[in-house]
Amino acid sequence: MSGDHDASFLKPIGDFGDGGVFSAQWWRGFRTEVWRWATTLDHKKIGLMYLCAVLFAFFLGGVVALMLRMELFYPTMIVDVTDAAGNVVLNDAGEKITKTTGELFPGWTSSKGPVTSNNFYNRLFSLHGALMVFLFIIPAVPAAFGNIFIPLMIGAKDVAFPRLNLMSWYIYLFGGTFAVYSLLMGGVETGWTFYTPYSTSTQWGSVTSMVLGAFILGFSSILTGMNFIVTVHKLRAPGMGWFDMPLFVWASYATSIIQVLATPVLAITLLMLIFERTFRIGVFDPALGGDPVLFQHFFWFYSHPAVYIMIVPAFGIVSELIAVHCHKRLFGYKAIAFSSISIASVSFLIWGHHMFTAESPAANVVFSALTFLVAIPTAIKVFNWIATMYKASVTWNTPMLYAMSFLFNFSIGGLTGPPHAVLSTDIHLHDTYFVVAHFHYVMMGGSVIAVLGALHHWWPKFTGKMYNDKPARWMALLVFIGFNVTFFTQFFLGTQGMPRRYATYVPEFTTLNQISTMGSWVLAIGLFGHLLIFVQSLVSGRKAPPNPWGGLTLEWYTDAPPVEHNFAHEPVLTHGPYDYDLVVPPGWDPADYPLPDPELVRKAHGH
Amino acid sequence: MSVLGAESWWSRLWFRESGSTFVPSSDALFFFIFTVSAIAFVGLMFAMLWFGVMYRRSKVGNVAEVSSPHNTKLEITWSVIPAIVMAIMFYWGFQDYLKKLIAPSDAMNVYVTASQWAWEFTYPDGGGTLESEMIGVKVSPVIAFPAGKPVKLIMTSRDVIHAFFVPSFRTKRDIFPNRYTTLWFEPTDRVTHTFSADDKKLVPVDPNRPGYYLFCAEYCGDQHSQMAGRVAIVSDTDYVKWRNAQLDTSGIPLRDLGEILYFNKGCSACHTVDGSKNTGPTWQGIWGTNDHAVGWTPPSGSDAKAGVVGPEYIRQSILDPSAYIVPGFTNQMTSYQGRVTDREILALMTYIKWLNSDFREEAEADGVRELDERGLVAN
Repeated sequence: MSGDHDASFLKPIGDFGDGGVFSAQWWRGFRTEVWRWATTLDHKKIGLMYLCAVLFAFFLGGVVALMLRMELFYPTMIVDVTDAAGNVVLNDAGEKITKTTGELFPGWTSSKGPVTSNNFYNRLFSLHGALMVFLFIIPAVPAAFGNIFIPLMIGAKDVAFPRLNLMSWYIYLFGGTFAVYSLLMGGVETGWTFYTPYSTSTQWGSVTSMVLGAFILGFSSILTGMNFIVTVHKLRAPGMGWFDMPLFVWASYATSIIQVLATPVLAITLLMLIFERTFRIGVFDPALGGDPVLFQHFFWFYSHPAVYIMIVPAFGIVSELIAVHCHKRLFGYKAIAFSSISIASVSFLIWGHHMFTAESPAANVVFSALTFLVAIPTAIKVFNWIATMYKASVTWNTPMLYAMSFLFNFSIGGLTGPPHAVLSTDIHLHDTYFVVAHFHYVMMGGSVIAVLGALHHWWPKFTGKMYNDKPARWMALLVFIGFNVTFFTQFFLGTQGMPRRYATYVPEFTTLNQISTMGSWVLAIGLFGHLLIFVQSLVSGRKAPPNPWGGLTLEWYTDAPPVEHNFAHEPVLTHGPYDYDLVVPPGWDPADYPLPDPELVRKAHGH
Repeated sequence: MSVLGAESWWSRLWFRESGSTFVPSSDALFFFIFTVSAIAFVGLMFAMLWFGVMYRRSKVGNVAEVSSPHNTKLEITWSVIPAIVMAIMFYWGFQDYLKKLIAPSDAMNVYVTASQWAWEFTYPDGGGTLESEMIGVKVSPVIAFPAGKPVKLIMTSRDVIHAFFVPSFRTKRDIFPNRYTTLWFEPTDRVTHTFSADDKKLVPVDPNRPGYYLFCAEYCGDQHSQMAGRVAIVSDTDYVKWRNAQLDTSGIPLRDLGEILYFNKGCSACHTVDGSKNTGPTWQGIWGTNDHAVGWTPPSGSDAKAGVVGPEYIRQSILDPSAYIVPGFTNQMTSYQGRVTDREILALMTYIKWLNSDFREEAEADGVRELDERGLVAN
């Protein structure tokens, strides 16, 4: 893999010849290039492959989500058949004729029996959950952005174990293959939570292969986490102490700890599920002598911390977005860093709040109290981000719009947490659309919006191309409006009592469901617009300067895209990650960035 | 918050219907959390937009004004205040939860058995409900409770996990196989239905607000979203009349009783009566034929003909469903042993018989004759 060390890591080394596309020489060059990517140990290439894969999973999961919303546009009802004039049609015996209405997906007969409209919906929502959780959002930030940017941000040449990193990527692909196989074999209709005894007794679909897929994906997650922990401990650039690390690195470090400690529990649980399904070993199914609540405890012992695998890296992204696009030292750097660690720790103690209607009341009280502990560090982060904007230099570009969109959505997501943590109100809201709205405000309004922000923030760095900011800002606005219309209505559906995972609903909920579905269309248009803007940027985008936003963290010191070994010379850290009042951003003209009087800075910092 | 009662537009916007004594304190707590959150949210968003506009780069230039990057007093304040508010929320929620948890000793016990995808209710008098209503695409049971009297449900499941959820009561509890869970509530004094002695049926007081929905809130498979029911609240006297009507099935023709049981015992979840295929075989036109139960052999000692759908076949299919599986279907049904009386089996047979047009004429008469011959009592 030797190559030109001063060239961009994206520059092809294969000799494509000049015989034109699809000539024999071109194919030889193409094969060389494919082999080079498939066997690469470069963290940036592996990260980019992850990024393509997770965005593809997001696309699939998104299409499924649109189908779900379409099905929910009408409640399914039996109505009288009427003629053109609106009169009820009677049959020969003088009885009313009825028909079923509002089913988007008609049933059909498969080899295993009839697939009803319900069944099809149930498979879709299970697929949506499994794709979005296991294939998209868990690997999205840690594996994709973490891989590309952690080594760059700490000034390292690569991650600590590049071969292990490549192996994680292939394990991810292998696990994903099982999920796709399961999908082709009829999918699953258990929900992504695989609750027993339904999941161990259902005759439908290929639950075992989907569970095996999730089991395998877990190893990818564990290995990536271990890799990052060692990388952060051992490979920081000379001069970089723990409190000189960018907050994205702190957040990724906290996430890695959760990945390494929690994922094995999921692996054990899923393995027991497979054994129960395949060999009828009774662990969870009461018919075999098992305990179904035990499954829920095991499952949420992983899956609650997993919520933080999905959101803590987003916190890291937002810290970077706000600091860089406000040219401002982050307010309360240490509070933000430590709150990531404390959220990671507390996340292991609160799994029981997913089961307030299932577990023992005594456990409920303990888990309710512990759950509030996680709210405080989360609130502190939001306060710090907004305080950072005070007396800052705020650019209203796409990444910053996404940071503000995150603050808006995530605040709603966070503030709708207490009604779930409070026992009395959760007993009403549990398993209703209020929960669906709440976690979409956190996962989509929080994590996905942060991922979109990160894409726009780092796009020039890893592609070397600028995108067109003005249309991107409009699309960001569409995504924001579409998202809020889609999901805010679901809070009302939830308090009014519409349970989740419903293929059909009573007519009282029609209006709210229709508003929500229309919101999903706006959201889809916004996301599609972003895709077009990115494609335009790749095809004919202006070449990006190394530091378009004026960032101070180390990734802005190298070329765009970075050279194969990240830095031409090993960087030595001479300033903190957010010293905007002391340092002119690399690549910027000091005339454009008149530094304030150092005496003033010293006074403001209180030393 | 309590200024706005359960019938105010604000309460109906959020909760639509309110029907139990849990509502006032539970909703007051919800609106307390809502108000605190709304104030915090508006404050935060105002600050964010204000800073964003005031300190926009086009106004202040590339370099931000110097300010202190931390402030211990401020940071302690914004950690302690949320902590206090959270402590209040927790304690209030805990207190209110205890109310929802512990049933009064004078509550009426009603047994609930959930299965895929049907609800069965057993009242203290041993009977269930014969009444049903079309909800969505499914005939769903109607259950009545007296206004202002506490009810305790003792619930179990026959197969997977379900959950009993009446949104208007603000309470919910999961239902597990092989274990009992309980849930209690006390309906308010608002009477939603009266009992019509002529039709022997419950009639809504206000057609626009015909009682409360019962939903299954824990995902349980194919017809999860159609596992609904209707909760009617009636006066004490109507309740007694309604119970008596539910217990006395003697006046109901066997075919009609069979049809009621078809819906209320959960048969309709898997078997159709219009010839179409579902999880189980249809009931239409199978009686007396020999091309439906191909390969079925009667139990020893029976004089039933092999492969022919008749009384012996139906009885075995209800009480021991796994003994024989119709080709093309899988073994999904659980036994109804102990859950149906002989008279009810006879009613179901009569209904199935009636569903084959060749036997329609004689179905009822045959049933009544057998009823007399075997000396089966009315119930």
